[in-house]
Amino acid sequence: MAFRLRQIEFTADGRKIVREREIAKPQLTLGRAAESDIHLPDLAVEPQHARIDDLGGGRIGIAATGTLGFALDGADTRAATVDCRSGAELQFGASRISASLADDGAVLLTIERIDTASGDIDEKSSISLAGAMPSRRTVSWIMAILILGLFLALPITSYLTRGPDPKARVIGDGSWSPGKLSLAHRSLEGRCQACHVKPFEAVRDTACRTCHATVHDHAAPDRLAGARGDRPLGERFLQSVAHSFGKPGPGACVECHTEHKGVGRMEAPRQQFCAACHAGLSERLTGTKLGNAGDFGTLHPQFMPLVVTNPASRAATRLSLDTHPRENGGLTFPHKLHLDPLGGVARMAASIGAERGYGSKLACKDCHHPSEDGVRFLPVRMERDCEACHSLVYDRVGPTFRTLKHGNVDQMIADLSAARPSWPVVAARPRPGAYAAEGGYYANFAPPGGGSVLQRAFARDGVCGECHTPVFTGGRTGVMPVTLPARYMTKGWFSHKAHSQEKCTSCHAAEKSSSATDLLLPGIAQCRTCHLGEGSNAAVPSSCAMCHSYHPAASAPRKDRSDKS
Amino acid sequence: MASAPRSEALPARRIASDHEGFLRHARFRWLKIGLAACFIALLGYVAADVQPRPYGGSWYGYTLGTIGALLIVWLALLGIRKRAMTPGRWSLKAWTSAHVYLGLALIVIATLHTGFQFGWNVHTLAYALMMLVILSGIYGAVVYATLPAALSNNRDQLTLGEMIAGIRAIDRQLVDATQPLPQEFAQLVLGATGEEIFSRSLWRRLSGKYPDCATQMAIAGFHSASGAGDAAAGRVEALLIRRKGQLDRLRRHTRLKGLLEVWLYLHIPATIALLAALTAHIVSVFYYW
Repeated sequence: MAFRLRQIEFTADGRKIVREREIAKPQLTLGRAAESDIHLPDLAVEPQHARIDDLGGGRIGIAATGTLGFALDGADTRAATVDCRSGAELQFGASRISASLADDGAVLLTIERIDTASGDIDEKSSISLAGAMPSRRTVSWIMAILILGLFLALPITSYLTRGPDPKARVIGDGSWSPGKLSLAHRSLEGRCQACHVKPFEAVRDTACRTCHATVHDHAAPDRLAGARGDRPLGERFLQSVAHSFGKPGPGACVECHTEHKGVGRMEAPRQQFCAACHAGLSERLTGTKLGNAGDFGTLHPQFMPLVVTNPASRAATRLSLDTHPRENGGLTFPHKLHLDPLGGVARMAASIGAERGYGSKLACKDCHHPSEDGVRFLPVRMERDCEACHSLVYDRVGPTFRTLKHGNVDQMIADLSAARPSWPVVAARPRPGAYAAEGGYYANFAPPGGGSVLQRAFARDGVCGECHTPVFTGGRTGVMPVTLPARYMTKGWFSHKAHSQEKCTSCHAAEKSSSATDLLLPGIAQCRTCHLGEGSNAAVPSSCAMCHSYHPAASAPRKDRSDKS
Repeated sequence: MASAPRSEALPARRIASDHEGFLRHARFRWLKIGLAACFIALLGYVAADVQPRPYGGSWYGYTLGTIGALLIVWLALLGIRKRAMTPGRWSLKAWTSAHVYLGLALIVIATLHTGFQFGWNVHTLAYALMMLVILSGIYGAVVYATLPAALSNNRDQLTLGEMIAGIRAIDRQLVDATQPLPQEFAQLVLGATGEEIFSRSLWRRLSGKYPDCATQMAIAGFHSASGAGDAAAGRVEALLIRRKGQLDRLRRHTRLKGLLEVWLYLHIPATIALLAALTAHIVSVFYYW
């Protein structure tokens, strides 16, 4: 009945020391307490940890005596019986005890301390955050690969492998767009290839023209180049750099029509943009008909409206307002007479005002009606705008009046020829005027004084002749054609609507005009009372784009357009 | 005449011996250069007539973009340059000084390059990464300028190895002193000595707060349970209190070291990510030109 204990220890330099001793007891105590038979100075071992009994026949019983158990062949337990012939391994704290049978039949317990501590050698390096943080190298690689993959490889691969369908989308190229497209091009959002036709090639005008086929050039390319002249050195340098990188220009669409600047509308070009060429155009561009213009307030030619001077040919000529041109649209019409607040016209307007909506005198609006957009005025129409006073009634049958048809001379001749000779049919209508006996106005169709009905009608005071000039061609009677221009200045833009706070007479000297040949257009000086150049402190600082378009078009320029698309 | 060579030799020796940090290098030469670069960039931004609004694709935008991209690549090269320490005009210190101040100037140059146009795209990603790198760099420069003094004060002439060795020496004494004590005390001491000196928690390392410190818990355990006059338990408790003191110093050391180091975990990966995003930015811009 004896246990043989074999204690294995290692010196600091790794040398093995084996001590053996015999304990002739049937029962051993194991613990941290110094008096234990098997003394394990390990804080993980209780002072009285376990008891080992020799059960005879090479079998031993192990039982925990404290609160902690032990491990038998790796499994935790509190009591076990071990046959030492087959052997077993027990573990208490950091000590391992192998139970076996010695050659002489004694129970051999080999005690060995397991060196779990890795030592202090590497402990210093643990102060680095490397243990607490993911590796910088790994994170760098992952991020770099993710970014290059998602934002470069993916879109390029998708671009190169997309189908021939022009509407085929490229995956991932949305991340390349530096900003939203303008309102005008919003429908192209996400279809980058519509403009970016070829990789590494700047957007060309041809890409724009696939949709904008009808946009007019500002001028012929050689004239444009001539107008630009020699640009400053810095600009030439920038241009040559741009060219060396394959940028188009000067004058490429994209120079003005920049994109990816956010949802919005294109800003009107600044004055300097136009002035760069137009301020000194006459020196650079030989044979130009355009006067120099660089600033509306200080450098702009006098207006040159299209004026009809020959009513027969109806041809309009551009004439400077400085030359005080006379207009001849083929009509006799004194504005002054019609607007005189004390004259007969005013009295007539007052007397039929309730019926026609006139005031105590005639106003411009009674005859001039604005167009639907309010920009300009509809041509004056006899039936609507004149006939309330200038009646063409020539006969009465019962309760009905017979009226001449305006604009058809042959019909008029026929109607008057067939009329009854009871004149004047409308004499009783009390209309003030200076044309007839008794002071009553009436259409003077027939003479009290003699001559044919037609002769009287075409006479200077006659129903036709008071406005129209009779013309006899080929033996036929007619009137000079009337030309009423709707627009005098076709190269510039003027909107009456934008000036609605002004009175008509602030610009048009109609009240003083006694003749239809007076051209009632205001000159540039009149405009300059409010409008001066872009940088001025006038009431309305006005850049070129307020009246002019870069691309010749009949529509309003950018700055005056309500849609501005 | 005889003294002339000596007077020439003296300043060289002084330069070698006087300590002048990378921030103050050469009387703030690179700070001045950086400020001048910012000023010129701003002046150009105001003067350049770019229509309809400033943006990266204008001629001035391309100019600033090219300068910015070259700067970024050069700044990133510090990672390679720092591995070779050399003295003199192009010393590592001069290089680091330039790195700091030109890096700061990049804020102005790159922001003007954007023309203040930002969006959810690869271009703004590159900008954001660049700002992340610069901001973490500013943090790094600040802690490099301020924390080493605190680190030195805390160390009290000890090396890190000595601090650890001190704690381990106490641990061995603790194990010996605890031998006669019951298991409940042994467990407390085991917990204290078994705890990792350097926590794996980033937050604990950087905040210096260890709410469930095993040594502190052991001290509390001993304090409440130590029977009056139990000399052995009293000795262990005293050892634990000494251990706590040393541990606190080591933890302050760890915290300062961590604060000095943590920004690099952002600065360096963000730099590599920035280089990738910059590549994507440049290629994509010209791919869809």
